Parts: sequence; structure tokens; C-alpha cells
Amino acid sequence: MTDASVVAREAEPGRLEITVAGEVDLENATSFEQRVQELITNRARSVVLDLGGLDYLDSAGLRALFTLANRLQLLQVELEIVLPGDSPVRKAVELVGLGEVVTLRID
Amino acid sequence: MVRPAESPADADTGRTTGDRLRRIQTLTDTELARLGVDALLGEVLERVRDLLDVDTVAVLLLDPSRTFLVATATRGLEEETRQGVRIPLGRGFAGRIAAEKHAVIIDEVDHSNVLNPILREKGIRSLLGVPLLVGGDVLGVLHVGTLRPREFTAEDAELLQLAADRVALATRAQMTQAERSAAAALQRSLLPGQLPSVPGLELAARYVPGGGGEIGGDWYDVFDLPSGRLCVVVGDVVGRGLQASVAMGRLRSAVRAYALQTEDPGELLRRLDMQVQHFERDVMATVLCAVVEVDQSLAWVSSAGHPPPVRALDGARGELVDVPTDPPIGLTPPRRRRTSSVALPVGSCLVLYTDGLVERRRESLDAGLERLKDAVRPAAAEDVCVRIMGRLIGSETSADDVALLVVARPADSGTAPLRLVEPAVPRSLRSVRQSLRSYLASVGATLEEISDLVLAIGEASANVVEHAYGPGGGLLEVHLEMHGPRVSATIRDTGSWREARGVNRGRGTTLMHGLVDECHVERDATGTRVVLERTLGRNR
Repeated sequence: MTDASVVAREAEPGRLEITVAGEVDLENATSFEQRVQELITNRARSVVLDLGGLDYLDSAGLRALFTLANRLQLLQVELEIVLPGDSPVRKAVELVGLGEVVTLRID
Repeated sequence: MVRPAESPADADTGRTTGDRLRRIQTLTDTELARLGVDALLGEVLERVRDLLDVDTVAVLLLDPSRTFLVATATRGLEEETRQGVRIPLGRGFAGRIAAEKHAVIIDEVDHSNVLNPILREKGIRSLLGVPLLVGGDVLGVLHVGTLRPREFTAEDAELLQLAADRVALATRAQMTQAERSAAAALQRSLLPGQLPSVPGLELAARYVPGGGGEIGGDWYDVFDLPSGRLCVVVGDVVGRGLQASVAMGRLRSAVRAYALQTEDPGELLRRLDMQVQHFERDVMATVLCAVVEVDQSLAWVSSAGHPPPVRALDGARGELVDVPTDPPIGLTPPRRRRTSSVALPVGSCLVLYTDGLVERRRESLDAGLERLKDAVRPAAAEDVCVRIMGRLIGSETSADDVALLVVARPADSGTAPLRLVEPAVPRSLRSVRQSLRSYLASVGATLEEISDLVLAIGEASANVVEHAYGPGGGLLEVHLEMHGPRVSATIRDTGSWREARGVNRGRGTTLMHGLVDECHVERDATGTRVVLERTLGRNR
């Protein structure tokens, strides 16, 4: 089964850091999206989503990220997505233009 | 009074010789042989009750742990079997008979010499019991009792022993048969008949029971890991028969479970060792665990007291691989275990086995190992297996069971096409990706080329899963071919394509176009084909 781990940490009050590792594809994209949404509480003012541990992210997973971006924009919560330069999912994120709807930080 | 049965010299003289003969015949009746074990047990108990004129008859069998007796069949003491009475070996009336392996007579039952409350509550006054013996092995106890005081004679004891021998033989035959079929069924269900198909590698395996068809605790196992690496295991639980098979089953599951936690074979075996020492006090096993890298160029190997693997390089004869051997599983307190790397160049093969393959009576282990090294030549894995079994087992039966597993990396695998057919369901996507990664690594693609191609083909495959078929489902076919440095991938379905529904859906196509050099879609009445092409080793 395709599996992704999602771990959240409140770095400072109102600032949430979510670390994702593993793989996200058509099989687990919906549950991945739900897990991330559950972790973001009302108190959050900004969210940093660290995709550094992801080995695979397909369009279903990217769709989940776009949906998340839309939703957080509506709630006026800032979203930043962080990726290492050599991440295997970097190209996918760039190709679909995720950087146009969220702040994309490539380290 | 408790006394051992005396010799029949001063036996009851009240009976005639003819009488005695008749009584013996009752128990040696050939008619009995035609009965099944349960019916035979019942019939013998009835005859014993009539013959010896007693009120109770009971058969207690030794538990597989050989620490206590369990009431198995009774006449006049039905509570005993219903309550599953257990008598510790060596204690009480029955326990003493089993431990000392001779008949015991109790003329007057009291609390000190009878442990079983049911015997006391029933009001049994006198007891006679004999061991169930087969070839000096105790299987259990047969005992009779009376509600009035009686002095059992040596002749009574002899007759009862005759009945006991009959019961013992039938019981042993039944236990052996049941254990054998159970062990064989277990082994069959646990050893993968069909090994996973791994692009770029060939796998073949054998399991052969030991002499007399006896199943032991040998096993082999091959499974892929979450990272795409391949785990290969061969192990040998010391012992034979059902108990060894059952322990093997548990160890095999434990190895699989720990493999999800760590992909370092040494660490995996260390955890297995801790588990065995905590939960399986009586189990000892040797295990060789190897994890083959995704690019298949090498395997990480750790040995827990197991014979070393044999590797043959392209065109050469087999050599023992110098793997440091740590202690077997289940012996010493856990400590660090070593992992070493074994290169698997193209054209080589690696042979894992259990000692039954190389050990022969009246021959040194070295002679067996030499024969094995001679027999191993790089070839198709199935051919290597056939050759090894032919040379080392031939028409002989090995005394011990044998497990053999061959991992070959054929020289021409890089250019052979890859063909995958999976049900078009989401959970197939991951295994398709793993096969693609292995295949692309084996043809020399870089990490970036692998992740680009895996994502592009993954997108086309996800489209098939999502859009090609109705609720009845269908198949997803992925075909990869090398034309020189150019990878050509075809993703095919046999359904009627329906357009994507919902929002945010067009990105799959964007990804495919961005990740490969060429992307074509062909649709006709038979289904849809997506062809993706990319030339390796070129800057894009």
C-alpha cells in the first residue's frame, strides 16, 4: 500500500510545521489530504509544509496540495512549501506551477 | 500401599492357562487393526474394563511439551476427559508411571499418592497403571481403578501392558501421520511457490523434505521492501517435524515484520534474536539475510550462524562468499550483528542454501562445499537450481531437509523488455513503480531519469486506473523497451476512456509532457495506448 507519514509540530504559537515523508499517489491522496487538514487547527496563522521526505508525488497528490492551498487562502492562513533542491518530487511541483499559488522555498 | 508390579511367577493361580490365553487373545485380536484410532481406543478400553473387571479405565497422553499428561480417553471417568485433567510428569500416580516407565500398583488410594482430585472424588480405592511405550519412548499412561479395595496382580499388570502396547502403537501411528500432514501443509503454505518477479533479476528456489519425507524447519523467503530493495532470506530452525515447522512459520513472519522497520540485515537479525530469546525459549535457528539494493549492484548480507553463500561471477566457478558469521538466533544475549556487502555484478549469481544441501553422513562438510562450488556456474536461475540439485542431491535423499534459493543477475537483462500486467486498481500503482525503478536502474538510468520516467509512467497508469474502466474493473498493462539509449514505454488499457471529472484534473498530462521527450496517445475501439519515450544520458 502506498504510504505517507504526516507529522505536525507547533514551532511557535500559531505557526505549524508539517513534515511529510513517503509516497503520495492516487491510492492515498485523499487520506493524505484529510490528515493534513485535520492537523491544521483554527489557531494556525501560518503553515510550513516540508516535503523533503517525499519520494513520490503524482498529480493526485499535487491536486491535494492545490486544494489545501485554496482552502488556506480562504481562511487567510499563510502556506509555505519547503523542498530540498535534490528532492525527487521537485520537478513535479515546479512543472504544475504550485509556486504560483503558494510560497515555494527550495533549499 | 504403593508397589511396583512383581514378576508374574507368583501370579494369581486361580485361573487356568486356557483362560489366560483367551484373555490375551481379546487384546491381540486382529479385528482391532481394522479400526480407526478413536474406535480402537474405545474398543480396547471396553475390553480392558470387562477383562480386568474394573470400574474405570483411562488413557492419558503426554503433551507435546513433554511436561504433563492430558486425559484423552476414559471409561467410567468421563469427568477426566471433559475437564481436560493435566498431571505433571513425575508427580502423582500417573505422572510417576510416565517418568519411571514401569507399572505401578496402588492397593489403597490416599491423598499422598494420588494427585488427581477426580480419582479421589470418584471414590477409587485401588489403582493399576502402565506406561504407553513405543521403542522406549513414553507416549502416556493407561490406568485402571476399582471402587472396592483390590490387590492387582502381576498378571493383571502384564495384561494391561499388552493393551497399552496396542494403544501406544496406534496412537503413535496416528500422531505421526497427523503431524506429518500438518507439517507438510504448513510448509507448503509458507514457502512461496511463485517467487516475486523482479525486473533485472532471476529467482529460483527449491525445498525438499529430509529422509523419509520428514519436514523440518528450513525455509526461504523473498519479498520486496518499501524502499524498492529486495529482501532474500534462508533459514533453518533446529529440530524436525511439526514443532520445527511451526517455529519456522513464526520466525519467517517475524523477519518480514522487522524488515519493515529496518533494511539493515544485521540489525534485522539482532531484533529477531531478541524476539526469539524472549518468546521462543527452546528455539534455535541459523538465518542468512540479504538485502539487494534497488540498482541490484550489491547485496547487504548478515549471517546468524548460517553456512556462507556461494557466488559465481560471469564465466567463473562458484566461490564461498566471505561473510562474517555471527552466532545463531536464540543462543546468546543480543549484541551487535555485522552486515557486509557482496557485489553482484552483471552476469553473476548468488546461491543461498541450508546445511542439508552440503552435509552427508561419513563425509566432511568441506567435501560438500567443494561439490557445491563446482556445481555453481552463472546461468539462468532455474538452470542453476536444477544443476545444484542434480549434482548434490541426485537420486539420494538428504537426511536433513534442504532449502535452496538462487538469485541470478543475467548478463543480457538490461535490453530485455519489461512487461507488467496488473489489475487496474490504485494499489497496483506502487508495485508498478517498484518494478519500473528496478528495471530503469538495471539499464543504467540516473536517479533523475528514474524519477522522471517513473512519474510520467505513473501518471499514465493512474489515468488507466481512474478513467479506463467501469466498476467491473480491468487490466493495466505497462510495457518498457530499450532501443539503444532510448526508453520506450507503452501504457495500455482495454476499456473505453471517459473524460476526467472534477476540478484540478489536467495536471497529469502537463506532467507527462514535461517529463519525457515524446508523448502520444492513441485511442481506438480496443482501448487506449499511451506511448512515452525518453533518451537516457542526454541533458534536457
